Parts: sequence; C-alpha cells; structure tokens
Amino acid sequence: MTKRKMFFRMIVASLMRRRSRMLVALLSIAIGATVLSGLVTIYYDVPRQMGAEFRNYGANMIFTAADKDFTLEDVNQGAAQISKSDIVGIAPYRYENVRINESPVVAAATDMEGAKAASPYWSVDGEWPSAPEQLLVGANVAESYRLKTGSYITVSYTPDLESAEDGEVVQDNFIDFEITGILDTGGSEEDYVYMSLEDMEKLTGEAGNIDVAELSISAQSDQLTAYMNKINSNVSTVNARLVKRVTASETTVLTKLQALVLLVTIVVLALTMICVATTMTAVVAERRKEIGLRKAIGASDGSIIKEFMGESMLLGFIGGVLGSVLGFIFAQEVSVNVFSSSISFKPLLVPITIIVSIAVTGLSSLMPVKSATEIDPALVLKGE
Amino acid sequence: MFLRMIKGTLFRQWKKMLMIAFTIALGASLATAMLSVMLDVGDKVNQELKTYGANITVVPKEASVLNNLYDVEGEESSGAYLDENELGKIKTIFWAFNIDDYAPFINVKAQLSDGSDITVVGSWFNHHMELPTGEQLDAGITSMRSWWEIEDGNWLDEQSHEDADICMVGTVLAKKLGLKSGDSVTVKGSSSEKNLKVVGVFNAGGDEDEQIFAPLNTAQALADLDGCVDSIEVSALTTPDNELAEKAAKDPKSLTVSQYETWYCTAYVSSICYQIQEVITDSVASPVRQVANSEGAILEKTQLLMVLITILSLIGASLGICNLVTASVMERSSEIGLMKAIGAQNGSVSGLVLTEIFITALVGGVAGFFAGCGFAQIIGHTVFSSAINIRPMIIPIVAVLVVLVTLIGSIPAIRMLLRLSPAEVLHGR
Repeated sequence: MTKRKMFFRMIVASLMRRRSRMLVALLSIAIGATVLSGLVTIYYDVPRQMGAEFRNYGANMIFTAADKDFTLEDVNQGAAQISKSDIVGIAPYRYENVRINESPVVAAATDMEGAKAASPYWSVDGEWPSAPEQLLVGANVAESYRLKTGSYITVSYTPDLESAEDGEVVQDNFIDFEITGILDTGGSEEDYVYMSLEDMEKLTGEAGNIDVAELSISAQSDQLTAYMNKINSNVSTVNARLVKRVTASETTVLTKLQALVLLVTIVVLALTMICVATTMTAVVAERRKEIGLRKAIGASDGSIIKEFMGESMLLGFIGGVLGSVLGFIFAQEVSVNVFSSSISFKPLLVPITIIVSIAVTGLSSLMPVKSATEIDPALVLKGE
Repeated sequence: MFLRMIKGTLFRQWKKMLMIAFTIALGASLATAMLSVMLDVGDKVNQELKTYGANITVVPKEASVLNNLYDVEGEESSGAYLDENELGKIKTIFWAFNIDDYAPFINVKAQLSDGSDITVVGSWFNHHMELPTGEQLDAGITSMRSWWEIEDGNWLDEQSHEDADICMVGTVLAKKLGLKSGDSVTVKGSSSEKNLKVVGVFNAGGDEDEQIFAPLNTAQALADLDGCVDSIEVSALTTPDNELAEKAAKDPKSLTVSQYETWYCTAYVSSICYQIQEVITDSVASPVRQVANSEGAILEKTQLLMVLITILSLIGASLGICNLVTASVMERSSEIGLMKAIGAQNGSVSGLVLTEIFITALVGGVAGFFAGCGFAQIIGHTVFSSAINIRPMIIPIVAVLVVLVTLIGSIPAIRMLLRLSPAEVLHGR
C-alpha cells in the first residue's frame, strides 16, 4: 500500500515539477488522439452523409403497374415496405394528353412536394405550384407557346369519345391555370406540363390510374435490392425496379470515396503516431541523468521502467480522453460545414482512442527508458 | 568558427538531429501528400462521376422548338438533324481537353418480321477518331453507358467489325423474341431491310431494354438518313456553377467583356454548352440538370471534406514538429550556458541554434517532400487507379510551412535559453 502510494506520488510529482515539458508531450498526444477519433468518425459517417448527397441524382427506384389497376393506394402500400426513415421522396405520376391553344401537350399530374424531394435537380424559374389550379410548365412548352410565369392559360381535355352515347355531344373539360414556374431539367421533362393530382382528376373527370411512381431512397445498393425483392413478393399490384444508372454509379463512386478517406486516415494516423512517439522519446531521453541517479542510490531496472511507464501511460490516458472529446468536436464541425447535418456519436471510439494512445505513448517511452537503464550510472552522472 | 561549430553539432549530435529531421520529414511528407490529394481530388472524383453518363445533350435547334408542336405521341422525326460530319469539331472547342467522351444518336422506327414496331438506335460504340490536332480518341456508348449489364455475349466492337450488320439487343426485347448472342434478327426500316447479327444482350434498367442498338451507319441506312444525327450526348469535366455561370447561362450577352472572358475561359457547363453550339451548326446544347447539378454538389462536398482533413493533419504535423524542436533546443541548456559563460552574445547563440535547426529542417523537408509524393501516388493508385498530379505550387507551400513551423517551434525555446543565467546552468540546476 505504501509502496503504491509512493509510486503515485513520484509520478504525480514528476509530472507537476516538469510541468511545461509534460504539457508539450501531453499536447502532442492529445493531437494524435484527436486525429484518430476525428478521422475514424468521419470515415464511418462518410457513406451515410455522401449517400444523402447522391440523392441529388433523383429517383433510384420506380414502381410500375403489375396489373391493370394501379392507384395511389398501391404506391403507398409498396412504399410501406420500405423503412420510413430511408425514404427521401415519393413522386407518383399520371400522364394524360391535354391541349393548350388546341395543340396537344402531355400533362403530368404529381404530388408536387414528392416531386420536389425525389428530383432535387429540377430547376424551377419562379415558384413551385402550391395551391390548386397552378401549373408548372416545361421549358420547351413555355418556349413554344410563349408562356410566362404569372400568366393564365386554359388547359382543355377531351373525354373518351367511345364512352359517349350515340348522338351525345362530347364537350371538352377545361380549367384555367395560373403558371407559377418554368421547369428546366435538360431532359424530356421540359416537354411536359405539371399539375397536382387533384386538378388532373377535376380536368379529366375521373380518378384514373397512376402510370409510374418515382422513389428516392437513401440506401446502399444491396439494401435497395432487398427492398425491391420484398416489394415485388409482398405487394402484388406493384412492379418495383431499380434505376440501374443511378444505383450502379452511386455504388462505384461511394466505394471509391470511402476508400480515399480510409487511406488518408491511415496515412495521417501513422504519421501522427510516429510524431507522438518521437516526442515521447525525446522527453524521456533527456532524463537519463535522473535515471542514472536513481540507479546509483539503488533502484532496480524494473522499478525504474515501471515508474516511467506509469508516467507515460497516465499522460497517454489524459491525452486520449482529451483527444476523444476534441476529435468528436472536429468531426462534428466537419459534418456541419460540409454536409450541414450533425454526426452520430460512436461510444465505442472513446475506449479505442484511449487504449491506442496509451499503447503508443507507453511503447514509445519504453525503448529510451530501457536503453537508459542499461547504461552504467557512473557514466551518466559524470555527464557523458 | 561558426561553420565549424555547426558542423560539430551536426556530426556529434547526429542522432538527435536525425530525429528532428525525421519528424520534420514526416510532417512535410504528410503536408505534401494531403495537399496533392486535396488539389487533385476534384478531377479524380469528377472522372468517377462520369459513370452517371452525359452531362450535356445537343439537339437540332428546330427539334427543340418544334418538338411539341408536331407530335408528342412518339414519332420523333421532326425533320431536323445534326450533321454527322461536324461531330469531330466538338473536340476542337476551347475546352476540348475537358470533353471526356461523346456519342451521337439516331432513332429509327423499324418493323420486325412479325410486323411489330421497334426502335433501332444508331450510335457509336467504341468509335475511333483521329482529330485534326493529331490526337486519337475512342468515343462512344461502351464507356458512356458503363452501368449497362451485359447479360449475354459482349459489347459490340465497332473497330473490328467495320460495316458488318451487327447489333445489341435490350434484355426485355431479347426475352420477347427469344434472342441470344449469335442469333440474327431482321428489321425493316422505311428504306431498306437488314438482317442484323446479335452480338450482345444488355440490361440497362430503362427504356433502352426494349430497343435495338446498332452502329450509326447501319441505323442510318435503314431509314436512308446518311449523315444525319438526332442528338449528341457529351460527357465533359466541368467546374461547379457559381453566380457568374448562372447569369451567363441565362444570357451570355448580359455579361461585361471581362466577365464574358472569365466565363468563356472557365469550364462551366454553360460555357462548354455555348462553345459546342458555336461549332455545331443549328444546334442547342443544354446541360442535363440531373447529372450536372448533382456533380457540382458532390464535387464541392468532397473537396471541402478533403480541405478540412488536410487542415487537421497539417495542424497535427506542425504541432508535432514544434514540440520536438522545442524539446530538443531546451535540453541543450548546459551547452548554451557554457557558451554564454565564455562570452557568447545572445545574438550569436540564437543564430547558431537557428542555423542548426534550419539545416536539419532543410534535409528533413526535402526528404519529406519526396516521401509525400510517394504517399500521394499510393493513394492515387489504390483508390482511383491513376496517378495524382503533383502541382508545382505545392513546393513553396510546403517550404513556407516547414520554415514557419520550425521557427515557431524554436522561438520560445530560444527565448527561454537566453533568459538562463550561465552560472545557474553550469551549476547543474
């Protein structure tokens, strides 16, 4: 008991007396630990965060009709098979031929909020429709008919002639729409006009079927395939397909990015650890005189090594704790600045960081202490 | 005498000096590697993102205006075509070097032997071009449709089968007709009928799965449209848009002369589109927002991420070096005390210590720079399987960094040494 007390007293005293030098060592250990915990946190969080960025490419799964009837309810039923937190956006589309100025145009009816979430790359000049009887017009349509945002336009629809009874005059349905925005995508979407599903129902006079639903799901490719199989086997009315171009490319790019961060982490880590080790070596090496003195008054090699190890491990522990905290703060800063979202705390990383920093400081002071104990005390004390 | 003393320190204390040099080398190599990777990561990730396909489409001017007025229901023949002979010109624009790949397309309506309608798409697969600049280029959909999964057979090899009647078939169509690679399929276009040999079946996960893809001239011959092209897809390396680019995209004429020059000489997607329109007669080039916008976002995030990681590692490396320099200068207190006792001036003592440290730092820094280049190459080859471009601007940055860090590391230590009184130090306190 007294021996242990003495041991701790010696360690604490040596740390306190050589405050400035020890602070220097502690600083370098803390930085090493910060780099470790910060970069590893980022490494684990990159796929999740980047995955969210990749949702900019839009839908990665589409639902089409498996049999004749395909309604909004079927879409929701299919989407229910996917974990809610993974769904970024669902946009059901119903296409009908309508007429503007008596010439035919394809009108797509959709849920505007869903479309906005599922296709973040749509660039709208003006506003997205938010109220009934508002229309989003593709850039090509707008150019052909010289349409501007804020103007009004009549869209007409000719009901099915065959269902009309003989002699009945089939009248066109029409609604006056306010144009709130012009859609620019660089793709075929520019040839359509977009309205809400309710307006389409009013215009055509019938509920009608959904043609296709686009889903943007935040998941890696194997998870997506699992979802697809689950939907196809559980929901008979929905035929789910992956948008290969998006999913395949996302996997390639994400894998590369993660490999990049991993490699960078390893290189940075190795170099910082070596830096910590050299600092520790320098700090211990300059205490050769002290070691010599101790040996001269009868300390055994074992007890000297034990004391020095205790000292550096204590430093390693404090540095590791500091580093875990600073590392998390760093990772959090990076995440907020780069991805504007917060990072998830990994509790397992704290003990790992502490253990690694204790191991590195311990090992790096072991060598110089050992070599110092091998020296004849007389030589060291004489000043050589 | 000064030189002799320095030489003496460097040789007698070579072990200690080697350790300082080693730490500085580590720090310098870390800085070099991280800076090179950071500066190059944009280009590399951009290259990877090219797997998403084209980010610019070029269509005839009339088509883009008249498309709706004619027919929305399908038949895409609006009568306007681009000229196949002008395709090579895309590689002559100001940003030609950034044009990664491109392919022309022509859609031809045709009938199968059972009378059902089918779309035959003519394109380049791995078309070989010799440019006026003497450059050679293989362009086409083999690389631009990298997400296609070949379920049977191989990619169509245009170069080894010139003018042969061959094609690739989408998986949905192949299942419907029971086609496999090696079979042949008869298609009848508006002007001629051809018997095409199937060399591969692909799964594209989209509309293409119900189409037949054939070499450009084969498809043109079906409808007697020699030299005609419906659209061109261009895959270009671009810089993420900023305000200037957005303003220019709306109307390039609204820019001032100097703004216009900046815009024209920057690889924005809008300026590349503009330059393509200049060389292809009566064309409209527009960015594919799905690809262009997302690329910009992902690129920016990756670069920012790398910048932050680089800053962290630079701070780590500098503090490590600072520490070691401070520690190593401090432990020489008795030597310096002796020097002061026999009459050395403060200035000459600091000069001596600093010179020693800087010679060490120079050796360490140079070694570290080359080691860092090596690290960068390892990262480049493992992750992107291509070399990382070491920019000359890294050399001054690393040099300044090493000098600053050693200076900052030695100043507090030297100040402390100067404050020492020689008697105390020599006494052994």
